[in-house]
Amino acid sequence: MATWRGLSGWWRQRTAFDEAREELRFHVEMLVEEKRRAGVPEAEARREARLELGEVEPCAEQLADGRPGATLEAIRRDARMALRRLRHAPAFSLAVIALVALGVGASTAMFTLVDQVLLRPLPFPAPERLVRLFETSPGRGVAQTGVARGNLATWRAQARSFEQLALGYATGRTIAGGGSEAEVLLTGQVSCDFFPLLGVAVRHGRTFDAEECRRATYSSAAAPTGADPVIVLGHGLWQRRFGGDPGVVGRTVSLERRTFRVIGVLAAPLDLPEPGVEAFLPWELEGAMPHDQRYTVALGRLRAGVTPEASKSELAAIAADLARQRPQTNAGWSVDVAPLQPHATAAARPALLALLAGSVLLLAIACGNAALLFLARASARGPEAALRLALGASRVRVLREGLLETLIPCAAGGLAGLLLAAALLAIVPQAWPDLPRAVALQLDTRAAAFALAATLGSALVAGLWPAWRATRQDPRRALDTAQRVVGGRERGVRGGLVVAEVALTVALLTGAGLLLRSVRSLESTSPGFQAEGVLVAPVFLDSQEYATGERSRQYYAQLLERLRALPGVLAAGAATRLPASPVGPDFARPVWPAGEAGTTAPKTEAWVRMLTPGYLETLQVPVVAGRAFDATDTPDSRPVVAVNQSLARRLWPAGDAVGRTLVVDYSTAGTYSYEVVGVYADVRFRGPRSEPLDELFLPHAQRSYLIMNVTLRTAAGAPPMAEAVRQVFRAVDAQQPPQAMHRLEDLLGATFVRERRAMQLAVGFGVAASTLCALGLYGLLAYGVDGRRRELAVRAALGAGRARLMRLVAGEATTLVALGLALGALATAATAPALASLLHGVGPADPVTAAGVLAALALVALAASAVPAWRAASLDPARELRRD
Amino acid sequence: MDTPPLDLLPGTLDLLVLRTLVPGPLHGWGIGQRIEQVSGVFRVKIGSLYPALQRLEQAGLITASWQASENNRRARYYKLTRRGQARLEREQDDWQRAAAGIARVLETR
Repeated sequence: MATWRGLSGWWRQRTAFDEAREELRFHVEMLVEEKRRAGVPEAEARREARLELGEVEPCAEQLADGRPGATLEAIRRDARMALRRLRHAPAFSLAVIALVALGVGASTAMFTLVDQVLLRPLPFPAPERLVRLFETSPGRGVAQTGVARGNLATWRAQARSFEQLALGYATGRTIAGGGSEAEVLLTGQVSCDFFPLLGVAVRHGRTFDAEECRRATYSSAAAPTGADPVIVLGHGLWQRRFGGDPGVVGRTVSLERRTFRVIGVLAAPLDLPEPGVEAFLPWELEGAMPHDQRYTVALGRLRAGVTPEASKSELAAIAADLARQRPQTNAGWSVDVAPLQPHATAAARPALLALLAGSVLLLAIACGNAALLFLARASARGPEAALRLALGASRVRVLREGLLETLIPCAAGGLAGLLLAAALLAIVPQAWPDLPRAVALQLDTRAAAFALAATLGSALVAGLWPAWRATRQDPRRALDTAQRVVGGRERGVRGGLVVAEVALTVALLTGAGLLLRSVRSLESTSPGFQAEGVLVAPVFLDSQEYATGERSRQYYAQLLERLRALPGVLAAGAATRLPASPVGPDFARPVWPAGEAGTTAPKTEAWVRMLTPGYLETLQVPVVAGRAFDATDTPDSRPVVAVNQSLARRLWPAGDAVGRTLVVDYSTAGTYSYEVVGVYADVRFRGPRSEPLDELFLPHAQRSYLIMNVTLRTAAGAPPMAEAVRQVFRAVDAQQPPQAMHRLEDLLGATFVRERRAMQLAVGFGVAASTLCALGLYGLLAYGVDGRRRELAVRAALGAGRARLMRLVAGEATTLVALGLALGALATAATAPALASLLHGVGPADPVTAAGVLAALALVALAASAVPAWRAASLDPARELRRD
Repeated sequence: MDTPPLDLLPGTLDLLVLRTLVPGPLHGWGIGQRIEQVSGVFRVKIGSLYPALQRLEQAGLITASWQASENNRRARYYKLTRRGQARLEREQDDWQRAAAGIARVLETR
């Protein structure tokens, strides 16, 4: 407030120039008065006084320039002058502000996204030494999967590359008590060095000590069984469920119906071992550790100076040793090491970079339009600057005024752009939920610096050149009206600007079009099941209460039966893991057909799912051969499996899978044989972008599991069922709520939400660019028609018809757009392949997209030239020719 | 018949301005008028007078303030400072000796 008053005081303070002018005017007035007293009439007296004394202003200027602080004062004076002029041209000023705001806002928002999501280091000490470790099996087509605990223990014992190696695993657990309703949390079980390795800070209390990790044991169903269990709360859970209570350390919470002691609260949200974890339990790397259950998230901190590549070759050598010692579990398995940072954001990188490029193109187009506006204004004011120079104004002053007239609206636009960017960033977390690190997005000094640079860049492109040129004009030529009508070189510059805008628009529209086609293709790719009308409720059964398979079977049977009884429910079933859904166990086991004696059967890895009856019906996955699981499959009946078409083709290419025997290797638990009773249709399990996996299905009745995704199909037009479904859950076990409730359609859409968001933004950019382009072209054509009135009138007088005159204007538009198209097509051919990783079902050189872009630009040319062409055709030659 | 007015000799304006302010504060117009009337031969141009006033003000020889003029307009009045007084006395002295010297040279036959 005080600053503002100071500023406005500085602004309003009488300038030295004002004072000098007033003093000199007094002098003039005295002379006039003297003459009047001598009998000269007032008007004549003034004329004489002016002749005797000369002009007051240049002298006042000279005086003012001689004072201390004169330059600052002169700038202030010129700024006031520039402001006054801008106020007198509100449409021009607002248009420039809007253009700069649009360009700077869009590009600053995208810059902030890229900067804070991709470039900013992870908020851990020495983040460049943090890596994530994966097991890989190229022979099985497994690129990067989780790490088996046994293997990690071996690496830890032998590898020299790492200061620390830690692991974690996330699963849903029920938390209850504390006055809030029971809910299922994603919890991370983490090894003792997990937090120290990352260098995570605690808000209250501490993380686990070695004794607590040793004490923590888990049953085969991942139920915590150790004595005196402890828990570390995530920052979000502490805020949400405990109201940010600083005294929470030492209190107890009920997790899985056991009492846990809270020993600490993390200082910030942590997206490891998986995004969304809210609480942490200790885990040990001891006891029987399998070498082939590859599901944990493994992290490493490299020793200083060791590269990820070096550590990878060391681990690969250890893995090769392991494969020799334990061929049963480790043959064909190796290791991959990736920096933690790029891995966390790799998926979002191409889309973000493409959008940043798009926003910069938009900025350039907006600048081009602003430049056209400044040029038009400069030529509308025509010889003003030249005139003032001719009358003795200093070039510095004229140039300075021109610069201020450019900088002031651009700066206002830049500020508005910052506000726009802040507004855009505020909606990112909702609009783009799976974007890593989106929550903490905010404008910072780097964003402000980018906005400043973008603003100055726009001012430079848009206004400085016209301002400088205005001072270089030859006054005689500038004042000659005949010369002024069509400045050939200036027309060339404007034409060039429009061509450049068209070219940039082509690039933007092509990108947007390709993404649009790609998303359409994803949407129309059948995933192999019917997602419409399906509700999904992931359930993590409490491992204490449902410790036996019998209890789990009873629970799910009862739940599904009650759900099927709800009005509007057509079918219900459950599976350990659903296609397109991120929740639930997802693992593969080696399988092979039981061969005839003496033959060695080919082994392959198949992804294992447990299904209840009703599941196939709910998702409408066709049974290709054999039968679906039903009530005849019981714990005591003959063990059966089903396979999907892919696995059936791989194991029994002849197509006679039903009735064969399949062997599944459960590693330490031994191998089991099953009769194949069905072949089910393939589904695109990881979403429409993915290829079907080799899948193996077991009846839940014969191999029960605590974690199941309950699904139900609702009748078309049925009222929202979520509440009714929750009531059924409460009725069966009030302490066992579903972890969440989704529509399968949404989950399916979420597998390409990134592409969809990128497409929507790109289309927005494209529409904005096309509009700007049309406006720019319109301005150029309208100005051209204005400048060529005489020429057009002469042509009309000489017999050129309306159509011919219209063609003249339209022809110019066509030439410019065609040139821009050609340039844009060349630029696009060079850059579109960079989009390839974002595309699905459409190549970078897509003819449909090209045709769409062509049509869009034809529309732009038509829209822009319609009015100017009509005006050209309706000139009145007689009146035009009489004008000068 | 009027003889045409003379432009001031270079370097003399500052001295004349300071001398004109001895009787009391005066505005720019008044200073110019007084010099023209008293000398009877010199014409003072605003392009020289006001820069000279500014120069003297910045040198601390005179001060300026806005006051109401005799005809009740706002005018900028200049006033001799102590330093201005001292400078005037010294320069007046120098000038008179110089003028006497010039006169003697011009009067020799």
